[in-house]
Amino acid sequence: MISCETFRASLHAGSSDPAVLGHLRSCDACLDEAVRIDPDNFFRAVGGEELVPPGGVEAFTESVMDQVRLRRTETFVGRRFLVAPRRLAAAAAIVAATAIGALLYDTTAPKPHLAVHPAIAAVTKPAPLVTKPVVETYQSKGATIVEMPTDGAASPNVVMIIDSSLPSDL
Amino acid sequence: MAAVLRLMIPTNESVEPDDRELVRTIQSGNAEAFEQLVRRKTSKVYGLCYRIIGNAEDAKDIAQLVFIKLWENLNKYDANYAFDTWLYRMVTNVAIDFMRNKQSRENAVNSNLRLVKTASDPEQGVVVQRKEIEGVFNAVSSVLSPKQKMIFVMREMEDLGSAEIARILGCRESTVRNHLFNARKLMQQELKVRFPEYARLWEDRA
Repeated sequence: MISCETFRASLHAGSSDPAVLGHLRSCDACLDEAVRIDPDNFFRAVGGEELVPPGGVEAFTESVMDQVRLRRTETFVGRRFLVAPRRLAAAAAIVAATAIGALLYDTTAPKPHLAVHPAIAAVTKPAPLVTKPVVETYQSKGATIVEMPTDGAASPNVVMIIDSSLPSDL
Repeated sequence: MAAVLRLMIPTNESVEPDDRELVRTIQSGNAEAFEQLVRRKTSKVYGLCYRIIGNAEDAKDIAQLVFIKLWENLNKYDANYAFDTWLYRMVTNVAIDFMRNKQSRENAVNSNLRLVKTASDPEQGVVVQRKEIEGVFNAVSSVLSPKQKMIFVMREMEDLGSAEIARILGCRESTVRNHLFNARKLMQQELKVRFPEYARLWEDRA
């Protein structure tokens, strides 16, 4: 670095001499003088030096490389599928043929008649379904009966019976 | 004779073949060479990002994004041009995008906020504190457009010439000088409002 005397002697407005700028950025004693001679040196005084990211260069580089590796893997996988559409088409055709074959076999092939052991048959026999009678009779004292208007004689009559005391599965 | 003289004068160009060679190695599929390139250029890229953005964490994120974009676009690099110019162009594109987004967010929220530092004694001479300059710059440069700030930082803090900046930004040298002139003017006006004691430095000269 040049001396303060050399710096002050060679300092002039708009100087771009690296030696002068280097001194400007490192010597606090000359800063006032430099700014008085050229006010633009005010902001120039904070430039120049190499800065290190938080955590240091190594950690930064490692982080960048991790992301690069990740992207490279993504690109590689993506490209494999994009570059080989014929392989994909062939694989799809094989899958489709297998599925169709299985379906045809299932519907056309004769099924063997398997004898069921009577004990198993008894256990697995479904219980008879009990259905409710078509017509049920209920008695209600507080029902509201609403008869819906009809378009004419051909339309069926619709009657709504509203009673909160009636069973819900009616 | 001219060729002999060229060999004798040390220039920045002597560094360039190394970068180009490294890029060629990366282009041939060597990821370790890219790691070497990142290590070599981190300070330069991060430093520029930090001065433009003014915030260490944001600058780090921007710098990382720059290197990822560099990796993705390295096959587009034309070795006829200086690698640093191409790299700086990438930094400016990413940083300008970031600043535009940030500016639109901040304008919506902080449009009326202003930090005003009043001079204690108008007759007293100004004592410039180096540690204060960075804060003053971050405050007053907020009035600049992303491009103006980019040019100001590259010219005044990174010591790049107008011609080099013009190559990086893909514009004319006169445009660079124009932006620089306007940036200085705007910053002086903002200094008058926010830091009157420092604004006097320019007034005294006038």
